[in-house]
Amino acid sequence: MLEMLSYPFMQRAFIAGLMIALLAAMSGSFIVLRRYSLLSETLAHVSLVGVSVGILFGLSPLWMAVIASLIASWLIEYLRSVHGMYSDSVLAIFLSGSLALAIVIVSLSGSFNASLFSYLFGSILSVSNDDLIIMGVFGSLSMALLVLFFKELYFIAFDEEVARTSGIRVALLNFMLVSIIAIIIALSIRVVGTLLIGALMVIPPVAAIRFGMGFFSTTLLSIAIALACVVAGLSLSFFFSLPSGAAIVLCLLVAFIFALVVNRR
Amino acid sequence: MKFSPSLFDVRNVNFTRGENEILKSVNLTILVGEYCAIIGPNGGGKTTLIRLLMGLEKPTSGTIKLFGTEQSKFREWHRIGYVPQRSALVDAAFPATVREVVAMGRYARRGIFGFESLEDIGAIEESMEQMGVAHLRDRLIGHLSGGQRQRVMIARALASHPQVLIVDEPNTGVDVESQHRFYELLRVLNKTRHIAILFITHDIGVIAEDISKLFFVNQTLLLSQTPQEMLRCDSMSRLYGTPAHVVSHNH
Repeated sequence: MLEMLSYPFMQRAFIAGLMIALLAAMSGSFIVLRRYSLLSETLAHVSLVGVSVGILFGLSPLWMAVIASLIASWLIEYLRSVHGMYSDSVLAIFLSGSLALAIVIVSLSGSFNASLFSYLFGSILSVSNDDLIIMGVFGSLSMALLVLFFKELYFIAFDEEVARTSGIRVALLNFMLVSIIAIIIALSIRVVGTLLIGALMVIPPVAAIRFGMGFFSTTLLSIAIALACVVAGLSLSFFFSLPSGAAIVLCLLVAFIFALVVNRR
Repeated sequence: MKFSPSLFDVRNVNFTRGENEILKSVNLTILVGEYCAIIGPNGGGKTTLIRLLMGLEKPTSGTIKLFGTEQSKFREWHRIGYVPQRSALVDAAFPATVREVVAMGRYARRGIFGFESLEDIGAIEESMEQMGVAHLRDRLIGHLSGGQRQRVMIARALASHPQVLIVDEPNTGVDVESQHRFYELLRVLNKTRHIAILFITHDIGVIAEDISKLFFVNQTLLLSQTPQEMLRCDSMSRLYGTPAHVVSHNH
């Protein structure tokens, strides 16, 4: 079992995977409680546009994914908060629109190549040292912001209106949260893939909420579920040559079913 | 902390939404320690008036001062406790214990880097004790009854040690007995902690004679009279536009 950790590519995959699991589960709690779960799925599709642009023009797909995802997250939040559009409608437009754009860009590049496949479903072989550095810098920044504003984001998730009247800068923090989520999603595409990252953000908090605890305990359990599933998923990926993203998501589904069965009401 | 006898000072405030004129020429003053109620028909603009006071809506024209400061420059929001309409309607599965909800009332005072201080802990415990919800501290808010949730929301508002408490239609989805206990509680807070109270109600019967001011809001109309005068059946009939019978509750 520990033999797999002797391979440098597995070491990188584990470092990246655990970092993403921690960030995704922590930020995911806020979007799940705000009934905004589709945001992660939408931004994952948008990051695919960035990846496609990167592949087409020979630029870093990871950087392009970060940029595309960030711009889209700001536009989505702007349309939702300033123009008062329904969240699910805005997300549906961006989700299908970005997928269409990504397909057109990929078509222009002439082929649906293996590199793109790894971005769709994740690949433990694809995490490079440069990727780890980018993930380390942006991941640390995102984690610092999430920890610093944890209580304010929780207050907003519970009662946005009262949070605003308490003097909390709700609009600014909402933009910050979607930006962090955009960055986390873009960073995670190497390990989990764009089509599956939504599950890593949503399933751990949803499973943890089933245990009926307070927010702090629920968030800790959510992080524990995400970390355990990433370890299990990456191990399955190594031993059975499966795409890492799919293996992680299947482990998450098992955790969710377990939480559901244990907490039957 | 700047002292001002006037907690809210509203001058010639108008508010329109699209083509609809919701409030017109509203003038209102609430002083330290006053116990005030707002009544009026549905759609009359009661909640809009509260939202204007809390900065959730911007007036089309006119000025609002909070504690003597222009609302746009006001930063000491912890001096105002706010319990909005339907705030007690919480999703049953929401992962929030009673203690966590009450602690939210201290967040604005703690700042970004602030951990929970002994003062915060004391204020949270005191508020829970005062509202009689301390024994529920580890229960999920969504698992409580409507009356219990309502008391938790008030405890959250009180945790910031406000000088005024604004409660918008507090009894939505709450049984009659809990309603009576609730209004008694507001009165006790006003008398013992000298917190000014402003609440919206549909239930004219709960308005006791010890109310300092009674506001009637009906779209473009705002009256402030003594409760005794306002509660006469002929006055109520005129204001609501239909025959009204005032029934007094025993508190």
